[in-house]
Amino acid sequence: MARIHCWRQGQPQKWLRYSVMAILMSLLIVIGFGRAPALAVTPRHYTELQFPPAPEVKIPPYTRFELSNGLKVYLVEDHELPLVSGVATVYTGDRLEPADKVGLASIVGQVMRIGGTTQHPAEVMNQFLEQRAASIEIGINTTAGSGGFSALTEDAEEVMGLFAEVLRQPAFPEEWLEFSKNQWRGSIARRNDSPDGIASREFQKLIYGADSPYARTVEYTTLDNISRTDVVNFYRQYFYPNNMQLGILGDFDTQAMRALIEDLFGDWQPTTSPVGRDLWKSLPSVQQAKTGGVFLVDQPQLSQSTVQLGHLGGKLDHPDNAALSIMNEVLNGLGGRLVNEVRSRQGLAYSVYALWAPQFDYPGVFVAGGQTRSDATVPLIQATLTELEKIRTAPITEAELARAKDSVLNAFIFNFATPFQTLSRVMRYDYYGYPQDFIFQYQKRLEATTVADVQRVAQTYLQPEKLVTLVVGNASAIKPPLSDLTPDAKVTKIDVSIPNVKS
Amino acid sequence: MLALGLLLVVIWTCAPATAIAQTTGSNIQPYIERVARQISEFTLANGMKFIVMERHQSPTVSFMTYVDVGSAYEQPGKTGAAHFLEHLAFKGTTRIGTQDYAAEKPLLDRLDQLFEQIKTAEAAGQTQQVAQLKQEFAQTRAAAAALVKQNQYGQIVQQAGGVGLNATTSADATRYFYSFPANKLELWMSLESERFTEPVFREFFEEQDVILEERRMRTDNSPIGKLVEAFLETALPDHPYGRPVIGYEADIRSLTRADIQDLFDTYYTPDRITIGIVGDVNAKQVKQMAEAYFGRYQAKSGAPNMVVTAPAQTEPRSVTVNMPTEPWYMEGYQRPDLTDPDHAVYQMIASLLTGGRTSRLYRALVQQQLALNVNVSSSFPGDQFSNLVLLYAQTAPGQTIEAVATVVASELNRLKTEPVSATELDQVKTQARASLLQTLASNQGMAGLLPEYEAKTGSWRNLFAELNAIEAVTAADVQRVANQLFQPQNLTVGKLMAADS
Repeated sequence: MARIHCWRQGQPQKWLRYSVMAILMSLLIVIGFGRAPALAVTPRHYTELQFPPAPEVKIPPYTRFELSNGLKVYLVEDHELPLVSGVATVYTGDRLEPADKVGLASIVGQVMRIGGTTQHPAEVMNQFLEQRAASIEIGINTTAGSGGFSALTEDAEEVMGLFAEVLRQPAFPEEWLEFSKNQWRGSIARRNDSPDGIASREFQKLIYGADSPYARTVEYTTLDNISRTDVVNFYRQYFYPNNMQLGILGDFDTQAMRALIEDLFGDWQPTTSPVGRDLWKSLPSVQQAKTGGVFLVDQPQLSQSTVQLGHLGGKLDHPDNAALSIMNEVLNGLGGRLVNEVRSRQGLAYSVYALWAPQFDYPGVFVAGGQTRSDATVPLIQATLTELEKIRTAPITEAELARAKDSVLNAFIFNFATPFQTLSRVMRYDYYGYPQDFIFQYQKRLEATTVADVQRVAQTYLQPEKLVTLVVGNASAIKPPLSDLTPDAKVTKIDVSIPNVKS
Repeated sequence: MLALGLLLVVIWTCAPATAIAQTTGSNIQPYIERVARQISEFTLANGMKFIVMERHQSPTVSFMTYVDVGSAYEQPGKTGAAHFLEHLAFKGTTRIGTQDYAAEKPLLDRLDQLFEQIKTAEAAGQTQQVAQLKQEFAQTRAAAAALVKQNQYGQIVQQAGGVGLNATTSADATRYFYSFPANKLELWMSLESERFTEPVFREFFEEQDVILEERRMRTDNSPIGKLVEAFLETALPDHPYGRPVIGYEADIRSLTRADIQDLFDTYYTPDRITIGIVGDVNAKQVKQMAEAYFGRYQAKSGAPNMVVTAPAQTEPRSVTVNMPTEPWYMEGYQRPDLTDPDHAVYQMIASLLTGGRTSRLYRALVQQQLALNVNVSSSFPGDQFSNLVLLYAQTAPGQTIEAVATVVASELNRLKTEPVSATELDQVKTQARASLLQTLASNQGMAGLLPEYEAKTGSWRNLFAELNAIEAVTAADVQRVANQLFQPQNLTVGKLMAADS
């Protein structure tokens, strides 16, 4: 389980992917820890053990510079293995696409890569990369565009050359645009095939509003509205060196890499239009769409209900976030209140959670939920609400506070376990305008958090009157019915049927 | 316990492979040799094996306890026992997870008796007695629950800075894993050794409900979960891989603590446990601690290795699952276990078919917009015994399963009739090497692979040696194995679609 990742999985095709072990990026800096082995060991119970001092956080050195065209570059050398990889982050995002062309940003990202470049058509590029076990991928999500490449050291220069081409001269051929749209049509057709997928999608709509940039969905009609001109224009609006960060990690010499980057990107002309975080000024402010209510997506074939309940949340840079993350720890994880009570004691669910989940630059959500057999739907919701009420109205114990703090602080070293983590953190903080010592500020706040702080934030930020409750399940088998949950006994049904494809 | 992908756990082992190449990536061999020098092994007097890889890039260490028992070892009627045990291995010991084990034990024993008596009374139709027994059961269960410190084992790990605590059960094996800051090595030794020397399978009945929810989530309410279950039953009848890892609902409901204890006593013996430790440790110190902590296990000769003789398939089979969902298509071809001399060839065939955008089925199905995606796994659902080469695809909008099947047939036929080009062959070899190279930089990845190779092939060195086997594969090998494999009498077809389509 782990604390978080059971709560939002989405697409059905992920079922096999998860079973492949994650491959991490490579590490930097060989530090020798020649420790003298102890002489004799007596087995001890955990309560009797003493440990060597906790390891210190060490941050690999990195180089940061800017080309004269405004491209921000971050370099981290790591010579453990003969590999080089890189990431480019572009100030763009699907929240910036027009409401009648939802899907445009995602298509731009996909076709940049799969459509090839003016010099290297798709087929040639695929061959080139795969013969070298190299990769280039581009994607645009809600708040950013991101590209990445990986290559063996011996191929790094050539692969980076292609990467620069993909960023600078994508061809956007019609046939690949059509391919990308068709992939999206397939995904629309399949979006109701997983109960969890329905729940996550519809919950976002209830919180942010169906038309909000944070919840709207790609539809057959919005795809039909997207032309090649739209794709090219969207690309031309955002892909400039002064609107981008480039990070390279791996087996290279910094001076030589600097020269190579100058060579590949130095003559790229910047734009004079607004760039960076200025692009976000036009975004609408975020308000909770539905404040309260019980909603149902009726799926008669199901024997289990998927529940999500919650309300609008906050941003990651809010000072109260440290105390809120202690609240998360107390509620979740093995030994957390929800898992102990709802899962282990009552056997109501395999996964159950309640999370304050902030975002970098717009309000995130507070979301709780789980999955349970149809007839236990109302008990699951009530058990979850009981735990929320408890944490709002009564102080947590000093032991719980200590456990929560220790869990985060003792594992803090894992934020710095690979050079890739450092590179991406440095870039991410710059991207969103966060201070570079943000993670250490958070650590300090966490250390200083008291029982009273946790109760204050629970009372302030968990707002029962604003809770929206969504159930994806079999209405006729949910007994007691959902109407028991609400004083006016009103349950709003949500129709998720997919409008037909035009023939 | 709560792993994603638990049900299906395809042991693809991250596209195995290594170097020794003449083409791109040929100079990665020194790196692989350097890594191999950082790996050492030892076996305790009781038979438990340890494989240790020193990697000092960050002050952290990853652990994997690999138990050589998976769902394939379960008796028919007791499906789900290995997975159930895995869940109960998080419930603590005589000293962890309890307020007072002396008071708790008789209650747990009484619950077991009552559970049996209820089953007997139910079978005999003694309604009144059932009600009485159930009442006592509920009271006893509440009394036992009051003595439990819920999830204390996991709490200790997390509070000490442990991350990624989890476990998985597959057809072949059960794996327990997490990572600690390097200064907590001895804590892992203490917790993990006690976990399997003095385990208490408490909260059994509560966990039964949790597992039933897990089954509903992964199988009963998941179209693809249902197809996989039906597909394996059809493709591998009377074969341990034909039964679901999570277990059938009726079996999960009727399993007892004694069943779990039996499985534990039979298979959780030192000779079936292999431990991987990768990270910022000193191998000598690991050995000293392991001898002290895990040396406490009683040597015990384990169960004999299972021999699987699946009834020979003589003609094609098929199964269709109707659910309100867009279509999926599956093909499975029976193949031998991983000790087969052609094991590497099966892996190569999978890569040639679906490894990347230039692969044959990607071009023919995805690029041509017949399918949204297509994948081939060279071994499913395990590889310790005879198993399946599994192909699965989701149809593209407006396309049919039949159209996909036709193209698949023609591509498989091409593998049988035409030798693959040197370029294609080199490409999949290069990808195999690069893939292993990337795994070398992951503590968790290596902690998982080393004990698995040790347990399944007899030596962790085969993780690297396998690259030689891959390097040696020729176009003629591919053609020969394709001809053996892709025959109608090896084939099972699975279809998932809405009833009206």
